[in-house]
Amino acid sequence: MDDDRIERLLKGYRLPDVARDLDQRVLREGAAIMARARDRATVEDVGRSLLQGLGFGYLAWLFDFVTTTDAEYRVEFI
Amino acid sequence: MIRGESGAFAELYQKYRARLHQYALSLIRSQVEAEDVVHDVFVGLAKQASGGRMPRELSAYLYVSVRNRCVDRMRRKPELPLDDVDLDLIVAPPGDDERIELRRLLNHALLTLPAEQAEVVVLRTWHDLEFAVIAGMQGTSVNTALSRYQYGLSKLRKELGAHGR
Repeated sequence: MDDDRIERLLKGYRLPDVARDLDQRVLREGAAIMARARDRATVEDVGRSLLQGLGFGYLAWLFDFVTTTDAEYRVEFI
Repeated sequence: MIRGESGAFAELYQKYRARLHQYALSLIRSQVEAEDVVHDVFVGLAKQASGGRMPRELSAYLYVSVRNRCVDRMRRKPELPLDDVDLDLIVAPPGDDERIELRRLLNHALLTLPAEQAEVVVLRTWHDLEFAVIAGMQGTSVNTALSRYQYGLSKLRKELGAHGR
């Protein structure tokens, strides 16, 4: 049997199934994390609108300026 | 997915779950631990994304996260003898008699390969990763990754040959 033949043979196999319990765990926790993020964003928007309305819009701008982080992510090999 | 799109998170999970699960299984060789690793990686991703820090190279991030977590867990637990390891890295398609017949033999042969060779064979064969990417993950050169792949295939071939294939 040559390399091509064994490669073709191997590629014909499927990946093992993932347990349904794992799917449910990950999706449930992921959805909860996302929901909290949405709520946080909503509260921030309300707060920002309130500051704008009261004439303190520059405070919201200052807050964003200080807290915005670079979205770049570094992958580390260990 | 940044700031709360759970549908996008579910799509990402569906896209990568089977691949990352098999990769974790091939490294850590424990069903329970592989599932824990996949769980932790995706929950970690959700936390990052919800904070507005989505990884730029998502695929690389996920693979490296799985690898790092597996390596970390393996440092903390003794290696099991192969006879105690009962897991499937591959599944034969229904109706494919040849692959069904050889599955057990190939699965065992994959598990007996040296870890770094098994990793390259798995990532190259079922995940279609380039040798340069695999080499980066293993912290080695492209030539070494390629050699590991060829040695791995050669051992699988010999194993099949020893059983009259």
